[in-house]
Amino acid sequence: MDQPSPPRIFTPRSAEAPPEQVVGVQLWLRRNLFYSPGSTVFTLLALTFTAMIVWSFVDWAFVKAVWVADSRKECQLTSPGGACWAAIIEWRKGIVYGRYPVEHLWRVNLTFGCLALWLWPMAVPRLAALRPYVLVTTVLLFPFFALPFLSGGARGLVGQAGFALSLMGLVALWSAALAALWPRSGAGRRAAWVLGEGRRIALPLGFVLAFAISWQLALPHVSTNLWGGLFLTLVIAGVGISAALPGGVLLELARRSQMPLIRYTAIVFIEVFRSVPLITVLFMAVTLMPLFLPVSWQLDKLMQAIIGICLFSSAYMAENVRAGLQALPRGQYEAAEALGLGYWQTMGFIILPQGLRLMIPNIVGAFIDMLRDTTLVSIIGLYDFLLMLRAIGHDHTWLGLYVEPLVFGGLVFFVLCYAMSRASARLERKLSRRWDKGGGA
Amino acid sequence: MTTDTDGKMIDVRDMCKWYGGFHALKHISFTVERGDRVVICGASGSGKSTLLRCLNGIEKHQRGSIRICGITLTDKPADINAILGRVGMVFQDFNLFPHLTVLENCTLALIEVQGLPRAEANELAMVQLSRVRIDDQADKYPGQLSGGQQQRVAIARALCLKPEVMLFDEPTSALDPEMVSEVLDVITDLAADGMTMVVLTHEMGFARQAANRVIYMDGGEIVEEADPDSLFDAPQVDRTRAFLSHILLHD
Amino acid sequence: MNTAIPSKGSGGLRALLNQRKSRAVIIQGLFLGALLYTVWFIVSTTAHNLTERNMASGFGFLLQKAGFDISWSILPYDKGTYLQVFFVGIGNTLILSAAGIVATTILGFVVGLARLSRNYIARTLAGIFVEMVRNTPLLLQILFWYIVVFSQLPGPRQSFGVFGLMEFNNRGFYFPAADLTGLVGWLVLAAVLLLIAVLFLWRHDRKRRAQLGRDAVPFRPWRDRALLVLPVVMLAAAAWQAPWDLPRLDGFNFSGGWSVPPSFCAALVALTVNHAAFMAENVRAGVQSVPSGQHEAGFAIGLHPSQRMRRIVIPQALRTIVPPTILTWITLIKNSSLAVAIGYPELISVFMQTSLNQSGRAIEIVVMVMAFYSVVCLAISGGLNLYNRRVQIAER
Repeated sequence: MDQPSPPRIFTPRSAEAPPEQVVGVQLWLRRNLFYSPGSTVFTLLALTFTAMIVWSFVDWAFVKAVWVADSRKECQLTSPGGACWAAIIEWRKGIVYGRYPVEHLWRVNLTFGCLALWLWPMAVPRLAALRPYVLVTTVLLFPFFALPFLSGGARGLVGQAGFALSLMGLVALWSAALAALWPRSGAGRRAAWVLGEGRRIALPLGFVLAFAISWQLALPHVSTNLWGGLFLTLVIAGVGISAALPGGVLLELARRSQMPLIRYTAIVFIEVFRSVPLITVLFMAVTLMPLFLPVSWQLDKLMQAIIGICLFSSAYMAENVRAGLQALPRGQYEAAEALGLGYWQTMGFIILPQGLRLMIPNIVGAFIDMLRDTTLVSIIGLYDFLLMLRAIGHDHTWLGLYVEPLVFGGLVFFVLCYAMSRASARLERKLSRRWDKGGGA
Repeated sequence: MTTDTDGKMIDVRDMCKWYGGFHALKHISFTVERGDRVVICGASGSGKSTLLRCLNGIEKHQRGSIRICGITLTDKPADINAILGRVGMVFQDFNLFPHLTVLENCTLALIEVQGLPRAEANELAMVQLSRVRIDDQADKYPGQLSGGQQQRVAIARALCLKPEVMLFDEPTSALDPEMVSEVLDVITDLAADGMTMVVLTHEMGFARQAANRVIYMDGGEIVEEADPDSLFDAPQVDRTRAFLSHILLHD
Repeated sequence: MNTAIPSKGSGGLRALLNQRKSRAVIIQGLFLGALLYTVWFIVSTTAHNLTERNMASGFGFLLQKAGFDISWSILPYDKGTYLQVFFVGIGNTLILSAAGIVATTILGFVVGLARLSRNYIARTLAGIFVEMVRNTPLLLQILFWYIVVFSQLPGPRQSFGVFGLMEFNNRGFYFPAADLTGLVGWLVLAAVLLLIAVLFLWRHDRKRRAQLGRDAVPFRPWRDRALLVLPVVMLAAAAWQAPWDLPRLDGFNFSGGWSVPPSFCAALVALTVNHAAFMAENVRAGVQSVPSGQHEAGFAIGLHPSQRMRRIVIPQALRTIVPPTILTWITLIKNSSLAVAIGYPELISVFMQTSLNQSGRAIEIVVMVMAFYSVVCLAISGGLNLYNRRVQIAER
């Protein structure tokens, strides 16, 4: 396009500062708090009311609180209007560990510390691709790792093999992480070899080695009757989610099956367990299992409760899996079919890995829900965190002290659940951003 | 409510708008006479959409004055309502009410705001719906219609209130190519009937055919203003030339 | 429900098809075999265990007299049969659930709208409330309300009275009861029917106005209000004349009137507060899910804010709010079972605990209780599915 005359050069105006009334603290106050007579009245009343409540709580919980005392009477004499935190501090071992023998507490601490050995890749951004595998190995293999430490005593072949597998899983995870982080270093290259060409040697050798370690590991038995407190709550929730994940996947695959018998069995199972309250499932487990199982197979109350919780949460997890699988585009199935993959290959290599990645926030959410649901075992008499707290009030020295333990328990649960849900929300945001950029829907 | 009858439909004088600290519209001044068909073009972020939304009060300006049909746009509900009765708006995303039928979408304001009996409202609505050639879909829900059909319903909905000025915010940008022409035909017919309108669009063909003025905006200011042929064939300002060459390259 | 899982390989050769079909039959056959074996195993073990422990079985026990008292029930009960105990438990569960559902829906809407309020303090306080309630276990909340609040109320002798009509103390919440048989009952019934008629009249008027326009059917607010006078007067007269049974201190306790035990109050408050937090999020998400373009379009055609809310935003928001709300109701019904922890005599407590211990019929009782919950929850969610299907805006 020929222009006969030279163009006029446009000089843009500079941006100016807005007039005062567009920004500022005063404006914010007027817009958000005092924009109408009703709002003004409400703001003033709410501020006064909140201040009163916060002050009385702080006064009771901190200013007048008693932190060291020998009995409730002493607390009340020292400071009648204050919280008697001394009881909680006295009972701290029981609240956290239950009646686990004091000389073996190191085993519990070690086990939970080891969880970090498994989960650390989750926190490294560069290892984001490993996250589904971290989660799956933790959920499926960590229980076998933890069992000899927490429970000890004689273990059957299954337990030994499981422990061996968990050790191998741990090594495999570390190798993958090493290979990903430092691919050029000596350690990284050796790690890559172990996972790659060296597989055929490393696998059986590793299994034998791990089995030998497992054989040697013989710690004295601690009966599950003695497990209690926060430790028991975490064990129940952990085992619950460990079983719920594969259980939920199997149930959901069964529900989508073309074979009517399998499909309807799964549907009935899922619908029934989602329609009844968890407490009925727990009661059912505790009263019916002694009848259904031969006398030689009797389980202790903890196992019965855990089985009930596992069945219950598998049904809910199946719903999560369904949502995850439905979020996958149909194109994935069609591409797999075009490649000639069979059912299990499609599921194992294409569908489930992607689906599970999408589901990680849901899984964390399910774990948080399970943490809250485990408190129900206190109703059937298992000494979990909640029941230990309530037991303080039945102790002779602290007779009648119910408020402080409940407040403390609420605080602990709140901190745990809130922190986890915040982390999960952040994870979800990161995942959805990656998903949008990648080859997904 | 001040009414000034000097014939201008839209009279914007030195209007400025800020979003918080961001100066979105800088000293905008222009007028629209009765029967004018004004096309505003510009890159996204140039402020053209903000300007349109300031004209009927969806966004508030902080400086300068906007007068529609002689009524000054202020914060007073009386002024705002008077202006809303004279200005019709068509959105890029149609914004039809999905829980109401096509006919109910059009008659909602007639019944709720103007208090007309339903039969009369229906009649009026059907007249406008046939004007945009969609009267046979009157009892369908928006979800059952194509994009082009929905936009035409949106135009009919705005026309039901007998506006004196129509504002179109990129009416065809959200449509598939084959539906663009059906909507542009409707707007062209409206222009031929003498409706005063301000249209935000990238459709240069439509601008040449139906518009009598084109405004190019950039960075919150009006850069150049002329009749379509002059602006497209012989832009006077370097910015305009750069923008047009981009458009033509990518068309 | 989803879709075909692709089968191995391509083709369409009949041989392959047959292979897949026969494979399916074999797998199902094996599955059926495993299932039947498991069932047989369990049944025979159970039979063996029952005879070992001299436990009887069968549903006949339902007609036996249960030898125990129930501390409180909405249905009349006086040491009846186990079947009566079952229904008493159901009644108590349902009354707690119904009251909870009503209260939770109201509170949930209030908190949800507060979360959307322009007032910063309202938003933040509502947000803190929701986070605190959602991140603590419901059982702990029930215990909290029971132990920290309702048990701390003074004894009957120092009871909190409200206008001498209602009493709050650590034995329960007492309120006056009226004998509604006879003339007074008919008066109340007539008043209620009249009220319903007035409501229908208002609705009829609104429809006619939409049909014929404002000029033909003008607004007549004073006439509308006047119509309420008669029913209100009738109710007042009934209240005046009714033989009230007021709670009166009788020795160490109150008698007369109706009462609900503190466990009911604590469970009701805990369930309401807990589920309202979840409902508030539903409401907030529902209202926020209405795109801003809808608000703008409503504004552009001249609707006032209240008209926009009523005709555009809320109808669309409700479509998003209703399904999760009904799911919250179902969850509330299931969670009412937690009241067993504070001794409220609902179904689990009277039937699954006490009756089971007394009669020993574990299997029958578990089946009955789980059947009750299954039927109720499946019926409600089935109704929800029907609603969803009917209300779906027709898609292209």
